[in-house]
Amino acid sequence: MSMDLSVPETWRVKGPLYRLEAARCKTCGRIHYPPMPACPYCGSRDLERVTLPSEGVLESYSVVYAVPEGSRHKAPVLLGLVRLGRVRVVAEITDADPSELRTGMEVEAVLRRIRSDREAGIIRYGVMFRPKLKGGSRGG
Amino acid sequence: MEVYITGVGLTKVGRHFDLSLRELAARAAFEALDSARIDKVDAVVVASTLSYREAGQFDLAGHLAGALGLKGAQTLAMEAGDASGLAAVEAACSLIRAGSAERVLVVGVDKLTDYVSSRVYRDLQRLYEAEVQALYDIGHAGVAGLLARLYMERYGVGRDTLSYWPAMDHSHAKHNPYAMLPFAIDPAAVPRALKVAEPLTLLDSFPLGDGAAALVLESEPHGDARAKVVLATSAAGYPSFTMNEDPLAPESVGEVAARLREVTGIAPANVDVIELGDTFTSIGVILAESLGLSKPGRAAVDAMEGRFTLGGDGPVVNPSGGLKARGHPVGATGVYMVGELALQLSGEYPGLRVDGARRGLAVMASGDGSSAHLVLVEGVA
Ligand SMILES: [Zn+2]
Repeated sequence: MSMDLSVPETWRVKGPLYRLEAARCKTCGRIHYPPMPACPYCGSRDLERVTLPSEGVLESYSVVYAVPEGSRHKAPVLLGLVRLGRVRVVAEITDADPSELRTGMEVEAVLRRIRSDREAGIIRYGVMFRPKLKGGSRGG
Repeated sequence: MEVYITGVGLTKVGRHFDLSLRELAARAAFEALDSARIDKVDAVVVASTLSYREAGQFDLAGHLAGALGLKGAQTLAMEAGDASGLAAVEAACSLIRAGSAERVLVVGVDKLTDYVSSRVYRDLQRLYEAEVQALYDIGHAGVAGLLARLYMERYGVGRDTLSYWPAMDHSHAKHNPYAMLPFAIDPAAVPRALKVAEPLTLLDSFPLGDGAAALVLESEPHGDARAKVVLATSAAGYPSFTMNEDPLAPESVGEVAARLREVTGIAPANVDVIELGDTFTSIGVILAESLGLSKPGRAAVDAMEGRFTLGGDGPVVNPSGGLKARGHPVGATGVYMVGELALQLSGEYPGLRVDGARRGLAVMASGDGSSAHLVLVEGVA
């Protein structure tokens, strides 16, 4: 199952994909994710890296059955639109049954394996979100 | 300088296992050249999106122009995701308006059926921000699914109401000889179909098909002109739909609609016929509302009430069948749209005909709105 995972790419995206690094514009104050070379709102290049909160609200979700090649064993993929403070993020949802998902529910970030390329020995991790347990975190 | 559409060539969208990319492109290109009654052009602009990954041909415009017997022509290849075809029309118009070419052949072509669909989904995932967000397994439909649920919950629109959008496309397509799926569907069948990205099903999404379409654009009408291009423009949006203030109102689409009003004084709702790039049901209703064809939350209801079909009080939307039923051979689709509109305005369209139509509009955003593209055409009769 050799795929198209790249070692340098997997290394480069650690900030946004592992740590939810976003960019804050020092000119207009807005935050965007993933970080771009210039502020998408005002065009300023005067940006600083900030870390998004790891807890947020599920604004929308989709259960994806049309799963791409290389990840078909994961089907269905739970996909979420998550609001973290003033920023929205698209990421996979994990540790949840599709029937548990509701818009407006609280979710928290966890690091999970997104894809792996066994032949090349590459595992790509990334932040996923799981339903937040009230009154404490769940194991695992 | 005016830009006239003098030739149109369309192939039926479908599974053309027997035709290679260039053979399929040649069918459309030769038909367009023959209908314009010319055999030489100054420039060839090729629109294709997936062919670089699927058919594996670099310098597609050069290779294709040579293969079509058009050596010596200027060549340009355009890739703008879902909207490559409209981008190619824009580029061709620019060449003519700048005086660098008098006759341009625009060819849009893509083949989606040479490989298994999961591979095509992987490639189509690159329509979305590919350096971070599309590293997740979002597929080609995941974002459209997120938008569908957001839309339904915000506006209190039920799944059954949403189904009238693809049903409208299908009811129009049954007259279109170039449509991949020329038959009507029962809206009640949509939620029960194979799930693609909940709440969306297979009947909410474009079929994977092959297709090629071509146009001849000229600075002179030669008495054969079908229509003229009044405006061909585009606007960049945000790298991700998540950056829009409102994810259900992509700014790139708002920008091209505003430009249409500024440049021509025409609002999208005031044209006679519109071809919309409705890759998925959710994208279709969002486009219709962003263009002001419907009030927010109302596009599916308007479709249900027949507002966008013959005899309705809005423009006729997607007489071709739209992306759902005509099909979406990705890079070629924008060329189909403009070709269909040109034939519609000249009274030659073989499908659902909008009698007396004077103005036609094609609008498409790529992926989740990274860019939006708009072409306005007008009859010359
Ligand atoms: Zn800024």
